[in-house]
Amino acid sequence: MPKIEVNERLFFSLLGRRCGASELEELLMGAKAELDEWDATGGAESDESRTIKIELNDTNRPDLWSTAGLARQLRVRETSRRPEYPFFSREGDERKAKRRVLVEASVQGVRPFLAGFVVSGKPISDAALKDMIQTQEKLAWNFGRKRRTISMGLYRTGIIKWPVSYKAVPPDSVRFVPLQWDRPMTLTEILREHPKGKEYAFINEGHALHPLLVDSTDAVLSYPPIINSADLGAVQVGDTELFIELTGTDMPSVTLASSIVACDFADMGYTVESVRVEYAYDTPFGRAVTFPYYFQTPVSVEAAKVSRLLGKPLDVAAVRAAVERMGCSTEAHGQYVTVAPPEYRNDFLHPVDVIEDVMMGKDMSFFEPERPHDFTIGRLSPIETFSRRAKSVMVGLGYQEMIYNYLGSGKDYVERMGIDGSAVVRITNPMSESFEYVRNSPLPGLLGSEAVSSRALYPHRIFEVGKVAFRNSKENYGVSTRQMLGFLSVHANAQAMADFNEAASQTATLMYYLGRDFELEEADDPRFIPGRQARITYKGAAVGVYGELHPRVLEAWGIAVPCAAAELDLDSLIE
Amino acid sequence: MDLASLVKTLHPLEVKVLLRYGQEEPLDAARLQAELGYKEGHANQAFSWLCAKGLAAEAGRSARTVYELTPLGREMAERGTPEERLLRFLGENGASRLPEIAAALGLEQKDVGSAFGLLSKEGLAAMDAEKRASRIAGAASARLAAVRRLLERAAAAPGGLLDESELDAAEKAAMGGMARKRGAGDAAFRASERETVIYRLSAEAAAAAAELKEAGVTGEELGAVTPEILEKGLWKSASFRPYNIRSPAARLIPGRRNAYVEFLDSVKDKLVSLGFEEFDGSLVETEFWNSDALFMPQFHSARDIHDVYYLDEPKKATAIEEPYLSSVAATHENGGPTGSRGWRYSFDREFTKRLILRSQGTVLSARQLPKAKVPGKYFGIARCFRYDKVDATHLSDFYQTEGIVLGEDVNLRTLLGFLEMFAVEVAGAKEVKYVPGYFPFTEPSVEVHIKHPVLGWFELGGSGIFRPEVTEPLGVKAPVLAWGIGIDRMALMALGLNDLRELFSPDIEGVRLRRAKSP
Repeated sequence: MPKIEVNERLFFSLLGRRCGASELEELLMGAKAELDEWDATGGAESDESRTIKIELNDTNRPDLWSTAGLARQLRVRETSRRPEYPFFSREGDERKAKRRVLVEASVQGVRPFLAGFVVSGKPISDAALKDMIQTQEKLAWNFGRKRRTISMGLYRTGIIKWPVSYKAVPPDSVRFVPLQWDRPMTLTEILREHPKGKEYAFINEGHALHPLLVDSTDAVLSYPPIINSADLGAVQVGDTELFIELTGTDMPSVTLASSIVACDFADMGYTVESVRVEYAYDTPFGRAVTFPYYFQTPVSVEAAKVSRLLGKPLDVAAVRAAVERMGCSTEAHGQYVTVAPPEYRNDFLHPVDVIEDVMMGKDMSFFEPERPHDFTIGRLSPIETFSRRAKSVMVGLGYQEMIYNYLGSGKDYVERMGIDGSAVVRITNPMSESFEYVRNSPLPGLLGSEAVSSRALYPHRIFEVGKVAFRNSKENYGVSTRQMLGFLSVHANAQAMADFNEAASQTATLMYYLGRDFELEEADDPRFIPGRQARITYKGAAVGVYGELHPRVLEAWGIAVPCAAAELDLDSLIE
Repeated sequence: MDLASLVKTLHPLEVKVLLRYGQEEPLDAARLQAELGYKEGHANQAFSWLCAKGLAAEAGRSARTVYELTPLGREMAERGTPEERLLRFLGENGASRLPEIAAALGLEQKDVGSAFGLLSKEGLAAMDAEKRASRIAGAASARLAAVRRLLERAAAAPGGLLDESELDAAEKAAMGGMARKRGAGDAAFRASERETVIYRLSAEAAAAAAELKEAGVTGEELGAVTPEILEKGLWKSASFRPYNIRSPAARLIPGRRNAYVEFLDSVKDKLVSLGFEEFDGSLVETEFWNSDALFMPQFHSARDIHDVYYLDEPKKATAIEEPYLSSVAATHENGGPTGSRGWRYSFDREFTKRLILRSQGTVLSARQLPKAKVPGKYFGIARCFRYDKVDATHLSDFYQTEGIVLGEDVNLRTLLGFLEMFAVEVAGAKEVKYVPGYFPFTEPSVEVHIKHPVLGWFELGGSGIFRPEVTEPLGVKAPVLAWGIGIDRMALMALGLNDLRELFSPDIEGVRLRRAKSP
């Protein structure tokens, strides 16, 4: 979930008023946001240098991940006044554009879409520039999947020779000086040597041609989505005219991201000027698109459906009022409300998304909790019921119940148990060696306890009931999950060491009270001493094993007292 | 401790001493043995306890010699010393030669020889010209009488012990010939030095005795209730000695449930009581059920929330169940029949088969949908796996509590009703707050926050109404409420812990001692 830092003065000026922390927390609920950190009384510092840290929970609302966007949501919800963004072009209603970007056919197979516009009107402030860099990061990282599907660049418009061209070139055919570097590099060198190049190389690697943005004199603006030119692409506080472009792999996402950034600039008092982008190929919005561009389609919802899902009678007017508080414009068509998303949003996939905006447009207190009236019978799962029976017998036998993690190391689950490990499930991307395998038995957990508990008063009688998983080619998933019971008995009394007979008696007692007739077979489980282990069978199938643990296993765990143990597949006893 | 309380803690062994003796009398173990019939160990216990309570103190020590009957000595006491046996033989058989006597008595010749030597010296036997020994009629030996007395007294004494102070002059002289300090194996007695500790009762002892008399305590009260006491009805004419009810109880190691598991069970029981049926499932899942079926787009950053563990081998499921694969794929691509516009991308039917460790309990809800009843309520407490660095607040595997409610008429307000029920019934909350939330698979979505008496306000759980893009491809037309509650913080608090890792502690002693706080 994205976290942003907003400049306190900028935020409150965009909100239209100041407020305290607890009120801000309340307001933030209207944007599914949480106040993370704010020292509103930050000593002698002024509000111009203080920041508020805010966490945004809605990953489908990238428009909220900036100071202007978040403030807009809260402001509109408070005042019900939607801001006007007259600079948007629409289908059949194009704004005039002084500047053009030409998209060449070569880029279609690499990174096909570009949107752009120019902001002007006043010098860019420090707070606005910082915010824009943050927006760029959040959009590209969270919404654009680490720049894969969206990336963004800012340039000084004044020194660009228009029109700009967006094309794909062989990575060794071009050299330019990237930001944070002091000499020209080819694209290949950038991917190999430049920190940003190394970080994002995975996006362009493997393509014969790489995307490049140049002006009409072939001066490089940037190498999307990796790095800007140190010349045309170095934006500073005080610059008065900026060209902003976004490239990516999905036209609606690129367009939406550009709309969000344009609205943010407009809210901060800048003038947004259109840029016409001419494609050498078709896009979902045509061959030539003038940005910022409104592409969203309206969604209709029936008032009765809203009422039914929210559990409150709401008429068309009430639905419209609530949704408009969320920044949408609406029209009534009989019992239906048609909702046009605001320029900066495209999160209405289904009418239920409108219904949620109705909920958000109301206050939660509008919806009183209601006790459910459907009658249903509650019950535990059969395996839970059966497991509880087994546990009560184990407790009666004097055993302490334990519970362990299911992830562990190959050392514990395989090596120390002396098994070949071919059936143990391994993770491809473990966080660490300590959590690399899924356990296939409860015994490693129990042995781990014994290994760290030699100072606990003896006898040690411990058991666990829990899940295990192991590879099984007969399953669709190639893995079986089973509920297993394991127990371990250890004494420190030289006259009565834990042994085969004890495990036998206790298993027999357990099975008696579970009401399961079982039989025994000779077994050759490497974890137990040969000749002192028994395989438990039920209805002809092996369901467990018990006996004296092999000294090799005990030595591997650093245990110096004899251990008797058993494991039993409870699932197979109720199937 | 005041005197009255002190007196209640006295053992009968102490009581009898206090009642019998005055402050001026020197006491030692032997005296208590002789006069109170104590065993030596009991006498020493009585002194030790009385001293600890300040009712007696050591007054001095004295050394003395004790004689302990050896196994040989015990045999002599029964069968006679060689001298006695020689005299008896001569009395019965008349004059005999020494080798014949040795053979007949089974003694070695040298022993018979030395016995005869002693008897002859004391004028009890003589040797004739034919080397035949005979008894001298009418002769008696004070020494032999003393030896006999010593042997018989020692054989009857506890431990075969005789104290030097119990011997008269003749006996002392006789003992001198029979006892050895070392190499006593072929002597009748082993002599050793023992130290005797002398005690005297303290000034408080008299007051304690008076208090005992006042209370009618005699030290003869019944101790442990035995079958004999019951069979013979001895209790009818006696009183029971009161025990010190505050003496520390011995520790036991019981068989016991795990406190954390019991907590989880209590949540399950509560949910069952609210009409929920439990579901369960595989630890290993596919991308399909873990995320795709929940309408989380395969490319979307919402999947960043669920950084998952991938299986090394096998990597993919053989197949995904139809018709769900096709209906879910269509819904992702263009909304399918759900009225959604979908995510508008090309659904990857290979990626969806990827095997992972289940990362969210909602998987179980998704899997339940095709077989769920309407109305129906289901829940599960599922072990889930997250790509997290393990610390006090993160585990790589942990439990999530999740559930769904299906019903033709369920809606946002019923959802709030359930959340309120969980808050009050499961979490014991007094105040509840609902906040709009975001989850990729529900719309609308609501978080429930509660004010806990100890923890203050915190998020108890997340919930919402499943998106039609989740339910309809899985064959469910009715609205479905989905919820998840975080119970680990409550578990930590109930168990007095502050580190999630402790919930799965391997430490046997720690787990044995852990217990849930009583309500």
